[in-house]
Amino acid sequence: MKRFLIIIFSLLSLCSCVDEQQFTNTPEGNMEALWKIIDQHYCFLEYKSQAIGLDWNEVRATYRQRLHPNMNSYQLQEVLCNMLAELRDGHVNLYTASDVGRYWSWKEDYPSNLDTEVRDSYLGTDYRIAAGMRYKILDDNVGYILYTSFSSGIGEGNIAEVLHYLRLCSGLIIDVRGNGGGQLDYAQRLASHFTNERILVGYTQHKTGPGHNEFSSFTEEYLEPSTTVRWQKPVIVLTNRGCYSSTNTFVRDMLCCPLVKTLGDSTGGGSGMPFTSELPNGWSIRFSACPQYDRNKQHIEFGIAPTIPCALQEEDLKKGKDTLIEKAREILNQE
Amino acid sequence: MKKRLLFLSLIVSFVVSAQAQMAKDSLRSHAFSLGIGSSHQLDTYLSPQNYDGVQITLMRETLRMTRLAERRISFQTLWQGTFSHTSNATNTTKDWGGMISYDAFWHYNWTPTASLRLMAGAGVGGELGFLYNTHGGNNPAQGRLAIDLSASAMAIYRFHLGQQPFALRYQAYMPVLGVMFSPQFGQSYYEIGQGKLNHNVCLSQPANAFSLWQQITLDVTLGKNVVLRTGYLCDIRQSHVNNIKVHNRSHSFLIGFVRYFRLMDKKQAIASSLIL
Repeated sequence: MKRFLIIIFSLLSLCSCVDEQQFTNTPEGNMEALWKIIDQHYCFLEYKSQAIGLDWNEVRATYRQRLHPNMNSYQLQEVLCNMLAELRDGHVNLYTASDVGRYWSWKEDYPSNLDTEVRDSYLGTDYRIAAGMRYKILDDNVGYILYTSFSSGIGEGNIAEVLHYLRLCSGLIIDVRGNGGGQLDYAQRLASHFTNERILVGYTQHKTGPGHNEFSSFTEEYLEPSTTVRWQKPVIVLTNRGCYSSTNTFVRDMLCCPLVKTLGDSTGGGSGMPFTSELPNGWSIRFSACPQYDRNKQHIEFGIAPTIPCALQEEDLKKGKDTLIEKAREILNQE
Repeated sequence: MKKRLLFLSLIVSFVVSAQAQMAKDSLRSHAFSLGIGSSHQLDTYLSPQNYDGVQITLMRETLRMTRLAERRISFQTLWQGTFSHTSNATNTTKDWGGMISYDAFWHYNWTPTASLRLMAGAGVGGELGFLYNTHGGNNPAQGRLAIDLSASAMAIYRFHLGQQPFALRYQAYMPVLGVMFSPQFGQSYYEIGQGKLNHNVCLSQPANAFSLWQQITLDVTLGKNVVLRTGYLCDIRQSHVNNIKVHNRSHSFLIGFVRYFRLMDKKQAIASSLIL
C-alpha cells in the first residue's frame, strides 16, 4: 500500500499548472516582457549576431539603464523602439495607441531610385488597370506593368488577361519599386506565370523552441507554373530599396525563372514572416518569426542584389526620364 | 504516425463494441445544463499574457446501466459546447474561443448503502475548438483538436429532506493518454495549410497536458417527471507541447434539468399497451 501511495504521489507531482511568467505593467516589466518575446521568438538573433554583431543580452543591459520608474508612456515607447531598432528589421513594430514604432532605415538610408511623378508619366492617362496592376504598351513595343503593393489582390484571370494583352510586346518590364509587400500568395501567383517548370526557389524554417538556434529542418519552396498564360519572352523586374517583405520574396522567385533579370538597386529585404505578441501594458509587438532563404539556403533578410545595378540619374529626371525604365527598355530591345 | 492512427482506431472499435452491450430495458437519465462563469486563459502561441472573461457552457449528459458485469457497469455520454470571451489585463485585446467536446465513460458501480453509489471507470473523448485573438498578424488564431482516454470517478448520494427527494453528485475525470494537434513553437498556420507538417500530432498525458474536469450537482425533484439540476463546474484544460503553453481554467454555475425514462423493445411496448 505504501509503495502504491508513493507511486501515486510521484505521478501527481509530475502534473502541474501550465503557466507563463507574467511581468508587471511597469517600465521595467514591459521592457523585460518585450526582451523575452524577442529573445525566444525572433528568428534572426543568431544570424544577426554573425552578420552585424548583434548581442541581445548586451542590448538588454544597455536599455535597462535608460528606464526609470516614473517615466511616461512616450518616454518608455522611445526607449523600447530604440531597443528594437538594434534588430535592424522592418518587420519589427511596436504598436501603441499614439504611434507605430518602426525601423525603416532599410529604405530611408538609401537612395529611393524612384520618382513617382516621372514613373507615372510613362503610364500617361490611357493605361489599363487589372486589379492591383496598372499596365501599358510603351512606344517601343515594350510591355510595362506597375505593381505598387501586394496588398492589392490579383487573380489568375487578371494576370492572364494582362499577359494576353501584352503578348505582342518584345519584352516585359515589371516595376515593383516601392512595393513594400503584402500577401505572399499574390506575389507567388504572379511569379508562377514566368516559369514552364516546377522550380525550387528557396527554403523556409520555423522556430521549434525558445533557443536562438532551435529551428526546424529546411523546407523546400517550389514555384509551380501557372496553368493559364505563361510568358515566354525576356522580363526585367525593376527593384529598389523599397521592395520589402513579400516583394522581396517575389524578386527571389522571379530570379529563379529562366528569362528574368532584375535591374535597379538591392531590395530592402524583410524575409521573416511576422508574428504578433503583446506586452503587459497592452502594446502590440510585431516581429519576424519564420525565416525564408534563397535556393542556396542563404539569408535574404537584408535584401537581394540586382542582376543589373542601375541608379536613377538626376540628369534623366530633369528630362522627365526614368533611368531604370529607359535602361530596361534598351536591354529588352537589344535582346 | 502509424502508431497514433492505430491508437485512434482502437479507441473507435472499443466505443463501437461497448455500445453494443447497452441494456435495452434500463432506466436512463438525460440532463441538459447551462453553465455561466469565468474563464482564465493562456495560449503562448497567441500571447504570453493571461486573458480573463466569461464562459458559457452548454452540456448534455446521458447516463444508463449496461448488461456488462451483471449490470454493474454504467454508460455515460457527455456533450459539451463552450463559448468564451476574454480580454487581457489592459482590455486592449480580446480572445474569442469556442469548443465542442464529447466524452463517453464506462463506470463500475458499487452501492455500499442504499443511498450511496460509488462509480469508477474510464472514458474516451475528443474535443474540437479554436481561440481567436484580435491582435491580428500571421498568428491570430489557434486550433484545438484532441482525442484522449481518461480516468473517471463519480459518487451519487440520494437523500430526503422532508418528503422532498434530492440527489447530490460529484464527478471528476482526468485525461491520462491521448493525442492532440499543436503547431510548432513558431510555425505558422500558413505553412501548415500548405501541408508542411512538423510533429503537429503530439502524445498527451498528465505530465504535459494535465487537465481535470470536476462537477458537483444537486438534483431536486420538482414534479412527477421534472428534476431541477444546479451545480458548480470546474473545467481545467492545459497543455505544454511543442514549447507552447495553453490553459483554460473555467468555473461555472450550472442550472438545468434532468429527465428519466425507460427504453423498451417492441415486445415490451406491446405488452405495455403502448402504440407508437
